[in-house]
Amino acid sequence: MVKKIERVGIPIVHIANLVPVAKSTGANKIVPSFSIPYPFGDPARSEEEQWKMRYHIVGVALDALTIDVEEQTVFKVNI
Amino acid sequence: MKLELGNFYVKDIVFGDKTSYSNGILTINKEEALKVVMEDEHITEAELHIVKPGDRVRLVPVKEAIEPRVRVGGGPLFPGVTGDLMQAGNGRTHALKDCSVLVVGKHWGGFQDGLIDMSGEGAKYTYFSQLKNIVLVADTDEEFEKREQQKKNRALRWAGMRLAEYIGSSVRNLEPEKLEVFELEPITKRTKEKDLPSVVLVLQFQSQMEELGYNDLIYGWDTNRMLPTFMHPNEVLDGAVISGSFMPSSSKWSTYDIQNFPVIRRLYKEHGKTLNFLGVIASNLNVALDQKERAALFVAQMAKSLGADGAIVAEEGYGNPDADFIACIVALEDAGIKTVGITPECTGRDGRSQPLVTMDPKADAIVSTGDVSQLIELPLMETVLGELESLARDGFAGGWWGDEILGPSVREDGSIIMENNSMFCGDQVVGWSTKTVKEF
Amino acid sequence: MKKAILYLNQFFGQIGGEDKADFPPEIREGLVGPALELQKQLGEEVEVTHTIICGDNYMGSNTEEAIDTILGFLEGKEFHIFFAGPAFRAGRYGVACGHIGKAVKERFNVPVISSMNEENPGVEMFRQDIYIFKGGKSSAAMRKDIKKMAEFAKKILNGETLLSAEEEGYYGRGIRRQVWLDPPVAAADRVVDMLLKKLNGQPFETELPIPPRDNVPIAPSIKDLSKATIAIVTSGGIVPVDNPDKIQSASATRWGKYNVADLEKLESGLYKTIHAGFDPTVANQNPNVIVPLDALRAYEKEGKIGKIHEYFYSTVGTGTTQAEAARMAKEIIVHLKKGKVDGVLLVST
Repeated sequence: MVKKIERVGIPIVHIANLVPVAKSTGANKIVPSFSIPYPFGDPARSEEEQWKMRYHIVGVALDALTIDVEEQTVFKVNI
Repeated sequence: MKLELGNFYVKDIVFGDKTSYSNGILTINKEEALKVVMEDEHITEAELHIVKPGDRVRLVPVKEAIEPRVRVGGGPLFPGVTGDLMQAGNGRTHALKDCSVLVVGKHWGGFQDGLIDMSGEGAKYTYFSQLKNIVLVADTDEEFEKREQQKKNRALRWAGMRLAEYIGSSVRNLEPEKLEVFELEPITKRTKEKDLPSVVLVLQFQSQMEELGYNDLIYGWDTNRMLPTFMHPNEVLDGAVISGSFMPSSSKWSTYDIQNFPVIRRLYKEHGKTLNFLGVIASNLNVALDQKERAALFVAQMAKSLGADGAIVAEEGYGNPDADFIACIVALEDAGIKTVGITPECTGRDGRSQPLVTMDPKADAIVSTGDVSQLIELPLMETVLGELESLARDGFAGGWWGDEILGPSVREDGSIIMENNSMFCGDQVVGWSTKTVKEF
Repeated sequence: MKKAILYLNQFFGQIGGEDKADFPPEIREGLVGPALELQKQLGEEVEVTHTIICGDNYMGSNTEEAIDTILGFLEGKEFHIFFAGPAFRAGRYGVACGHIGKAVKERFNVPVISSMNEENPGVEMFRQDIYIFKGGKSSAAMRKDIKKMAEFAKKILNGETLLSAEEEGYYGRGIRRQVWLDPPVAAADRVVDMLLKKLNGQPFETELPIPPRDNVPIAPSIKDLSKATIAIVTSGGIVPVDNPDKIQSASATRWGKYNVADLEKLESGLYKTIHAGFDPTVANQNPNVIVPLDALRAYEKEGKIGKIHEYFYSTVGTGTTQAEAARMAKEIIVHLKKGKVDGVLLVST
């Protein structure tokens, strides 16, 4: 789906946990998520900490939409 | 142009008093033959051997193979090379079949030389293990290249051609056992074939060296110094082109290969039935990018102007020649000509490398005749004609002095390990190859 | 007597379902689950001595650790061949089989055999490293898939000549080698026949396939994020609790669009996930962990982005074919364009 959307010229960021799979499917901008069942969550952390992590990852992804890349790029997150 | 090839099927070869052919037996007067070889004072020593399929013989370094033939009406077998210029492909030529003259260095090999095993596991890697061979083993005074990896091998190759002419002359006045006729009407005068798809055969002859003396020759002219041109297939079958001395051996088209060119023969068979064989576009494999592009331009334009519907592109090589191969195929496809390519691959020791150095999705029809990178290990062979050590010592494309993992190509016990690359004309791109390449 | 060991996930290893996907690796002596069928197919020649079981999420989230642990289990054990799966279309399972298979091959240099359906992402990721046989879509193909794995294993162990990937039935590992055609066909005939087919518009098969270049041209970046409309698309299966569009929990062919124009966040109890591929508990308690509407709203309020597109788009990724996904994307794109969406966050689970 990422490729289809990108192909029509809409910038897109793929947020996924299995980065190698994302790379293999061909997304150009990839942001790692925290896990599979809860990409933006972590039941081991407090609500407040989860919110911070969510806010952070979404922020990185939004920024990635504005950054020019030459090739497949995995953006860094602090999670 | 009409070529009559009169064939004589050699059943056995022996040395005897008089060089002659009778009832399948080819007799050679060794002394006379060697005199012909020694005509060139650059040849310092020479021997002749006869080897047959099944013999426990290994030949290395092999430099050339030539089919013994004779022009019945007179004239050099290779116009512009072994004698004066004249039109090839017209008239009667007699050929001794099922045999070849092999040229082997007494000592010195090189990048472009190869190996032949006449029996055992190694026999299947070359075509010549199936033939009865008159083997010339000789040395020369060509000091300038003795220790060079790149050799022109001129004295030896010309000696081989002289020998082939001498032996071929034994059947000049005899009645052939089979007569093959190769004839194509001038293109615009053809009527029967009009409605059949027209096809050109693009032959990319090896022309990688910029210094003269190494490349394939067309009527004696270096293929590096030419632009693509139009040739009659009879010319190729009848000695207009001789092999050079450069290409890693398995991709090489020996003069024997060129004289027999199975793809040309098959196109002739189809001519008038399923296709209209227009002719041959002789191209080359120069190294500089603009020369590659220019050649592709000419090939596509000529094919288009000739009205070709389809084309076959054959490259005598791998590596940077793949760029010419793909460039021609793409140019032809862009000109609306349906193209099929025939080539060897180079997939690397682990088999995982990109098989051609450049690829293009327009090259969607390719016949692959072999993989030059394949490692081959063979046991010792009782008799070696030439010098076994040359495989490891002299910079063969598929042999080496030392390798951290594999060791030297030639081991103390006489067994060898090498790449398919140095099997003499092993990939048989001219059309004999029953090999292909598959994914594992 | 040759020996073999089989790797399974928590489900086929009979530990549990999604709830046990975090199961840490264990090695059991003897046969568990599909190991029985594998042993049956291998017959007398090979003995399956152990079964290794590991939860898909455990392997996915702690790959290095899981591999180290399992390699530790194998240290000192005698085995001549290693099996993993079959994984059918289960993506995490296939990827897990690939991870452990590759590691085992590298450490112990034994043949490693797995089986996956062509839709399994594990195929593209690991086909170069291990033998992955072409497998069925679901565990209904268990017997057939195991048979192929077992037959090939016996061929290898008996030193039989191995044919090409296509002929044996596994995904090509990207290794090209020369072979003699049997029956022999000369290249001259192959090339002229191929040309005649091409000229006559008949199908032909090239001997040297040119792999397609699959890069999507990079879409131009957003110049001014503060004016941009951003949309979320997810394959994580977040839908209103009544699943009005009846999106399937696996092998989805349907997608839905859900209006969030007036919402600060997605409320638990109003939204849930229907994705069958993972434990839904956390997402059901807080759907924003998959569709981060709350975080996006915050950015909208701050002015970092212009606005959030009024819909988010959702489907389920597990088992969904690439072909179906491509079709759904095409349909979703129509709405993205209508809504003048400037950028998309695609969230996978």
